[in-house]
Amino acid sequence: MTAVRPVLDAPGTHGAAASSPRLIPYVPVLLFAPCFIIYAILFIWPQLSLLATSFVDGNQWSIAHYQRFLGDSYYWELLGRTLFLGVITTVITLVLGLPVAYLLARMQSRWAGFLLVITTFPLLVSAVVRSFGWMVLFFRDGLISKLVVALGLASPPFQLMYSMSGVVIALAQVLLPLMVLTLYGVFRSIDRDLELAAMSLGAKPSLALWLVTLRLARGGILAGSLLVFSLAISTFATPSLVGGARAHVMSTAIYEQTIELLNWPFAAALSSILLVFVLVLALVYGRVLEGRGQTEARS
Amino acid sequence: MTIDLKSPFGALLLALTIIAFCYLLLPILVIVVAPLGNTGYLSFPPQGLTLKWYQAAVGDMRYVGSFLTSLKVATITAIVSTVIGILAAHGLTRYDFRGRKFIEALFLSPLILPTLVLAVGLSIFFSRTGLLTGTARLAASHVIVCTPYVIRVSLPVFQRFDRTLEEAAQNLGATPLQSFLMVLLPVVRPAIIAGAVMAFITSFDEVVLALFLAEPSAPTLPVTIYSAVQLGFDPSVAAVSGLLVLLTMALMVIYHIFGAVRD
Repeated sequence: MTAVRPVLDAPGTHGAAASSPRLIPYVPVLLFAPCFIIYAILFIWPQLSLLATSFVDGNQWSIAHYQRFLGDSYYWELLGRTLFLGVITTVITLVLGLPVAYLLARMQSRWAGFLLVITTFPLLVSAVVRSFGWMVLFFRDGLISKLVVALGLASPPFQLMYSMSGVVIALAQVLLPLMVLTLYGVFRSIDRDLELAAMSLGAKPSLALWLVTLRLARGGILAGSLLVFSLAISTFATPSLVGGARAHVMSTAIYEQTIELLNWPFAAALSSILLVFVLVLALVYGRVLEGRGQTEARS
Repeated sequence: MTIDLKSPFGALLLALTIIAFCYLLLPILVIVVAPLGNTGYLSFPPQGLTLKWYQAAVGDMRYVGSFLTSLKVATITAIVSTVIGILAAHGLTRYDFRGRKFIEALFLSPLILPTLVLAVGLSIFFSRTGLLTGTARLAASHVIVCTPYVIRVSLPVFQRFDRTLEEAAQNLGATPLQSFLMVLLPVVRPAIIAGAVMAFITSFDEVVLALFLAEPSAPTLPVTIYSAVQLGFDPSVAAVSGLLVLLTMALMVIYHIFGAVRD
């Protein structure tokens, strides 16, 4: 255990260490042990066995479940729909999130703090409850359905319930706060004087925003998008409640295979495929954050 | 303000912001207001005005029972994940050793994993091993989701902590344990409170793990709401959801007043 040593070993302060020299190396082990043991049993082991389960067919190793996925156009469609949901949700949260985050970050009134709290508040309300709110609006007699019919945009038996459009609208609302908070942090870190400098050199505000601020915020915008995208393709409650059986995505299919059909190996294979997408996004996300750190360090 | 909100471009930004705030708050408003309607079905805006659905919700043992289950699971989860998370964060900032970065990444990694994938893995795992039952099974699973939040919230606070304070206490005769309890813990208390609150809320609102792992006879509140919503629109379900929203709001207000006082 010689590798373990206190971070700061200021000279002349060995009194503490000397008082219990044999105890010290074991302290970090004891600090990590509870967390590590629980993770090993309830996180690492189940995830490894999930992966193993996806490669078992009957009593032998096999890639049959992956072959079933790859060989069936239904599942390709499912995957495509899921990725499309991710893309469109990300675009909506970006379009609405950018102005909100920008104005919040640049606001110099007492309202800024209050508005930030209002942005955070929906995050604390269960996704089930928020989806339920949308369901009330989306049903045939709901406000949105009536409004759409009244405007002549659709003929009477119209509802957004059990449709992909409904899932997109609800899911984008569920994930919007995360986008706003990510972008808010980024805009706060960009010096306002840079915009002012651009404008004093003759740029219109919109051009200054486009050329200076958004350029500098590129890393953060990418990071927020990756975060929202990876959550959008893996969230369960909203697609399941608003989309129901008619707008299946990967997550609802996984639930169906596990709970209703009890086809664990195939559920495990679907989970692993979803996980691969999320992990790749997470790796890119890590790279982006690292890159941002380096640019900040350079400037 | 760098951008003039009265210019066409500024007005566009402002308009998008107003739309975004309405969009964010609309479904939450609907859930609180719709059950005030006097009709036997949910509609927004509500027709008539009554508190009977809210009263029905408070009196319904299904909801009260699952509320208590959620409270129990969230309390156990918050305590366990705060304790193990704080210990881990302390270890991660206090000691330098080979593999420290790896351990940190490992402890934070459940943040990346979709809860659904974790839920599938755990339900296969639990049904094969028979390990833990009932509330303990669910709380243990929630710990995996909540601990990373505790660690992430407390790491920066532990990093900022001035270690010489602890050394000073030890030079004055305090044992390492005493200096941990009497010097370090009071200083990092805000991180502990924030981590515990976050773990509690996360566990209380969590629905995916609960759907897969909660005992069918003792579901948590989000599961009860989820199932009720799927069966049909009973206004009392909306009233329960509305109460949850109001409770969250109250907690948030208390937290902010409390936080403001402490600053």
